[in-house]
Formats: sequence, C-alpha cells, structure tokens
Amino acid sequence: MQLIRTITNEPLYHEILGNGLPVYILQKPGFQKKYAVFATRYGSLDSEFEVAGRGIVKVPDGIAHFLEHKLFEEEEGHVFQRFAQFGASVNAYTSYNLTAYLFSTIEYFPEALTELLRFVQNPYLTAENVDKERGIIEQELRMYDDNPSRKIYRNLLNALYHKHPIRIDVGGTVESIQDITVDLLLECYHLFYQPANMALVVIGDFDPHQIMDLIKAQMESWNYQAQEIKRIFPDEPDTVCKPRVEQRMNISQPRYYLGLKGTVHHSGRELLKQQFAVNMIWHSLAAKSSPVFERLYNSGLINDSFGASFQAAPRYAFSVIGGETEDPDKLDAAIREAITELKRKQISSDLVERLKRQSLGSYFAAHNSLDYLANSFIVHLFNGTSFLDVPKVIESLTADEVNQFLQEELDLERSAVSVLLPE
Amino acid sequence: MDFIRHQIADGINLYLCETDKFTTLTVKVFVQNSLTAETAAANALIPMVLVQGTRSNPTRLSLAQKMENLYGSALGADVAKIGERQIMEFYFDMVAPHLIPNGDQVLAEGLATLGELITDPLVENGSFKQEYFQQEKTNLGKLVDGLINDKRAYAVWRAVKHMCKDEPFGLYKYGEREQIDQLQPEFVYQQYRRALASSPIDIFAVGPKLDQLPDMIRAWQWQRTTVQQLPPVTTKRDIREQEIHETRDVQQAVLVICCRTEQQYLSPDYYALMVANGVLGVYPHSKLFLNVREKASLAYYVGSSLEGTKGLITITAGIAPQAYQQAVDIIREQVAAMQAGSITDDELERTKIGLISGIRSMVDDPGSLIDRNLIGIVNQELRTPQTVMDSIAAVTKEQVQQAAQGIKLDTIYFLSGPKGEN
Repeated sequence: MQLIRTITNEPLYHEILGNGLPVYILQKPGFQKKYAVFATRYGSLDSEFEVAGRGIVKVPDGIAHFLEHKLFEEEEGHVFQRFAQFGASVNAYTSYNLTAYLFSTIEYFPEALTELLRFVQNPYLTAENVDKERGIIEQELRMYDDNPSRKIYRNLLNALYHKHPIRIDVGGTVESIQDITVDLLLECYHLFYQPANMALVVIGDFDPHQIMDLIKAQMESWNYQAQEIKRIFPDEPDTVCKPRVEQRMNISQPRYYLGLKGTVHHSGRELLKQQFAVNMIWHSLAAKSSPVFERLYNSGLINDSFGASFQAAPRYAFSVIGGETEDPDKLDAAIREAITELKRKQISSDLVERLKRQSLGSYFAAHNSLDYLANSFIVHLFNGTSFLDVPKVIESLTADEVNQFLQEELDLERSAVSVLLPE
Repeated sequence: MDFIRHQIADGINLYLCETDKFTTLTVKVFVQNSLTAETAAANALIPMVLVQGTRSNPTRLSLAQKMENLYGSALGADVAKIGERQIMEFYFDMVAPHLIPNGDQVLAEGLATLGELITDPLVENGSFKQEYFQQEKTNLGKLVDGLINDKRAYAVWRAVKHMCKDEPFGLYKYGEREQIDQLQPEFVYQQYRRALASSPIDIFAVGPKLDQLPDMIRAWQWQRTTVQQLPPVTTKRDIREQEIHETRDVQQAVLVICCRTEQQYLSPDYYALMVANGVLGVYPHSKLFLNVREKASLAYYVGSSLEGTKGLITITAGIAPQAYQQAVDIIREQVAAMQAGSITDDELERTKIGLISGIRSMVDDPGSLIDRNLIGIVNQELRTPQTVMDSIAAVTKEQVQQAAQGIKLDTIYFLSGPKGEN
C-alpha cells in the first residue's frame, strides 16, 4: 500500500490489486460516518461495443441504468434489507460514464463493505424480476418527463450533438427499456463488470490495513470474465445538430439555455486545466459576482436560477448557460453580446487571481463531505485526472492560459439554444 | 460535539460547537416568527431584500465580490417553515481559518458582513431601497408561481393546503401570491424592524476556535425591545377524510396522503411516532417501499415523512394514473397492519438503527449539526443527539403500535393528467 497525503494532510492509501482493481482508502479522523463507493467505467455512453464472437453490439438505450437497478436483487431477497440490518444506507447511480454503488454507515462497516463487494459481484436476473423492474423504471422515467430542468437539458444535448450517445437519456425511454432482456443485461454485466474496469474508494475513521485485507479477501473469490473492452463511438461532427429547439410544458415561466460544444481533451492535466479554467470563465460571466449577472438581474431578465457550467470528460465537452426568464430572445441576445464582449476585453489577471481563490476555497470546503470526496475521486480516476492534482492545477493557471481557453471554448459558432415555454 | 449557550441579548442566544473536525466554519442565524396570513409574505420577502445589499456593501455585486475575496465564503438567506413558525435564516460559511492565509481576518470581515446583512441594511427614506423592494417582490411572486414546476412538491403543497385550510400550517412558507402582490414597502420594513427588535433569535456556529464569536456578534447593531411570546402550534381533533383530485398536464400522477397523529415533539411518546413513521415509509425496508414498489411494482418513489411539531405524516408516491385505487388500498392496508400490531422485530430494529445512524451521521456535517436544532428552538426544548438516540432506542413494539393507532387519514390528494391520457 502506498501512502499519499491530501491537501488537508489526511492519509490516503492506494494499491492496485492483483486482479487490476484500484483501491483508495482515505482516513478521516473524528468522523462517525464511513463511506464506500464501488464503480465501473460503464455508463449510458457505452451503447455500442465489440464482443468476441458476436461482432459489434448495439444495446437498447438505458441498459446500464437498468442493470444498476437489477444488481440490487439477490436470490435471497433485496440488497436493501441486508444493509438495513447494519443501519447502513445503500444506493447507486448511473451517469454518462459510470455506474456507482455506494453506502454509508456508522457501524458494521466491514460487514457492509463485504456486502457491497459481494452483491456487485453477483447478478441475479430472471425474466420475471426483469419485468417487474421495468414497471418501476417506467415510473422513474415518467417522473423525469415532468421535470423541466431535465427536459430542457436533454433537448439541448440533442440540439448540440448529431450522433454522440450523450443524446440518450441515462435511463433510456419507456420504449427502449421494453427491449432489455436477461441475456443482454448479462452480456453487458460480464463485459463491463471486471475489476480492471472498476475502482473502489472507501473513506472513514478506521484501520486502513484491516480494510485492505478485507477487500483482498473478497476479491479472491470473484469469478469474473477477463475480456478486452472495445467501445465504439460514432464520429461526431464539430458543428451543432440544430441551432434551436423549443418545447411547451406545464411550467410557470419560460426557460432558456445556451449550449456550446467544447474541445475534447481526452485525459490528464490538459483535461483538468480545461475543466477549471472554463468553469472560472463562466463564473466570471454568470455568477453573482459578475457585473453581467448584476445587469441582467436588475433588468428583470434573469433570477437566481441563472447560472453556467462546463462539463468535460474524455468523450465530450460542453458548456451550458441560462435559467428562467420572461424573455428568452432578449436573454439570448444579451448573453451572446456578453460572451463577445468578454472575448474582446479578456479576463484581467486580478480577476483570475480572485477566481482562483474562489475555486481553491470550494475545493477545501468540499473535504467535509465524504460523499463528495469519494465520488469525486472516482470521477477523476475514470477521467484519467487526479483529484489530488486539483489545487496545483488551479494555482498554476495563468491569465494567458485562461484567456486562451476563453477564445477556444466560448465559440458561438458551435452553439445551440434550448427553450421551454409555458403552455 | 454539543453546543454551549451564550446569551447575546434579551431573546438572543448563541450556541457554539467548537471543533477541529471540519475544513469549514459555519454560522447560521434563525429569526423566528409566527406563521400568519398577515405577515407570511412580508417575512418571506425580508431576507430576499436584505441580501441585495447592506449599508457598506450596497449591491449584491459588491457583496458577492467580497465573499469571493474571502476565499469563496458563502453568505445568504432563506425562509423555513417549522410547525406554525416561519423562520428567516441567514448564514455565513468559510474555509476554516487555519487553512487559509489571514484566516482570522477573513473570519472577522465575514462575520461583520453577516451582521450588517441582518442588522444594517441599505435604507432610503426610512424604508428599504425602493428598487430592491420592487424587484424582489416580483421575484418572490415568481418563486411562488414556480411551485408548479416541481410536480411532487406542488402536489404535497396542495394536499397540505386542503387539509389545513383553517390552520396556520396551511400557509406557504413564501406566502401566497395575492398577499405578495399587495405588499407595501412601509409595512415590510416595519415588519423587519419588529422582527429584529422582538423576535426570538437563535444563532449557531460550528468550527475551530470560536472564542471571539460572542463579542463579535454582540457588536452587531442589535436594537432589542421586549421579546415576543409566540403562540404554540394548533391541533385539530375532529378529523374527516376527504378526497381531492386535480388535473394538470403531467406524465406521472402523484398521490399524496396527509395523516394526522396524536403525538408531537413535546409529547412523551413522540419517539414512538417517529419509529412508527420509519417502519411505515422512510426506508427501503419500510412497509410502503416493500409493498407499493417492490411487490406491486407501482412506483419508483413512495415514502412517508413526519412533521414533528404539528404531528403530521405525509405519504407520497409517483404512480401511473390507473394505479390510484390499488395504491390507496395498499397504503391503507399497511397503516392498518401497523395499527393491528403487525410489526416484526426486524422492522423495529432496522428502523431504530436507521434513525440512530441518521442522527449520528448529522454530527459529520456542520449544516445538519445546526439544522437538527430547529425543531428544538421552535418547541423551546433543545435535545442533544444522545438524548434523542436514547429515546429512540427505548421505544417498544407496543408503543409503536399505539402511536400507529393515532394515525388518521385526513386528505387523500391525487394529481393526474387529463382523463384518457397517461
């Protein structure tokens, strides 16, 4: 086990096990809660891949998320029940890039961790239980259909991208999940749930050596199928698919989002730099500390829902800016003008320093949350970046670099608008 | 991890929890008011206007830039509703002073700014700055209209409103649209002055080295008069079941069942009710999750929550419209089963351990560590995590059954799409 220290000087142990699974153990002295997340690099983007002997397979939309639901069922009953006896709360989520299984507990940490590692290793799928799950997931998807934030975002990604699987909702659709079968679920399971494609992060106040021994013991019995994963991604043009999409919904006032396609940096420091630099740029434009925000807010064009963010991973990069507004067209013009103006004037080195302070402060504050720490670790690991490098990368950013990102990433030529209007 | 009380002024208490555990220092200020139809909208508007600017930082831009320079500190305000009280809440959150350069200076400036935000607003002609008042009045109105954007929250709110139409609890925490539209600047400013002078105020802080805080907070511009005595929560005993159906353009129907109970925070058997609610619908091992979701496959979410001050249990489920009767029947059966004593040892133990874990994990988060006291300040009886955990551990199956027998269905509310559609 290798010992590293975090920025707050907490000990972090790391080892890549014999079967290829990277394990991180972070000690948090004084914390009651203990947290573990076991994740696989398998999300909604992995919709097409090559399987030995079967050639290229395209799976129904929403299958990674469906599989996530199903792993909670065991022959002896529901996984929830077993965690309940430890007072642990167990959950899972699926994103574009990953599926994560997690729990937090105060007591019985070794028992709960054993349970987590065990149930993720043991799929129990029958035609009957897969059908039953379809009913539950259908209600989950219908709930999202009534959620305006999700709707406007989904429409925006469909406008920005032509073929990229990011267009697909993580959960798929009520129609697409009808095609999901036991065989398909198992095929995906065996391909993507193998230790070298996964990672485990545990955080809490415990003896790291004891925990590592437990993890190793649990991993020995795993009878996984080592296979090479060949993901297939369609060639996505640089241009946007549609410049504008509009939809009507039962909402109180219109919503406007502008999306901008970014440059894809596949991994490492470049990706990390891009993530922080572009988010700082948007902060300078769209946060409450921005004169642009002040002006738009005072003119009644935006409210506190207004904001901007940049998301980047090895397979995609895009920005979103907007919020609720009474006049989407007027807001559209104002935002485009503000972006053009910012690119012309550039960001001063004083402002870059203030933005760096802000980013660094948030990074420190985030160390209070075990959930945030564990999940950030996993996301960084899968992106080929390092959570521990964040402060160094923030500190190293220069005004020149930030302004270069400003010119490259805030490209109105590669933008699309998504609008929701009240019925 | 307990709080130590310091008296700041008449009716103003400061509770300090000094600890090195966190990477942050958090301060929250709660100003308590009665929830009334006359003042709800004004009380909701006050924090929104205050965050627009203070006397020495007259715009939200200057406030936001100041916070950024203080290493991304956060300063803000909101309104909460606990029982029949409306609470204005103000907060300041910074990176722990020992982790940043000039940390003590950041703390002093940040805390002084929080003090200004609450006690020293931007005043023009004896009232709030007119422009800020008008702008935030418009925003508050839109915020209230926006409830419809979250169908689940909207449905819960409509159900509560039907159930408590003659009780203060039936008022929305941000006020009603009609009251907001009628707000006058003089009235709101007077209400602000009244609250600052006479409302009970409780301040909580969690972080390292807090010894300077009592003096820093005493130095704020408090102008206290006599402290108001706020009325206790109302209770209704004559309960008649009612069914309400509302139609909206929704993909998924939302079922809300509001129940009254016979226990409240100050009742001796309150924790039996808390356990009963847990057995019924808080956890994935609870009866509602197992029977409505896992067995009948009717819902993705289904659960119950307890409002302890008023003693209300609210059950919600997102279902297909045609599943209405089946879902209502299953929920009734599950409540009836508990009333008949059908509670297994596993259910009882898992619920207790779940509740106790929840309380223990609150001490790992500064915000939760503070917020868990809100119910205590409203009911004028703060309880330590240990007291609460001991009380939960002592609850017996018979007590849970007895508490469950007090659960009475009051309002069954259903929000669904137009007939014939999904």
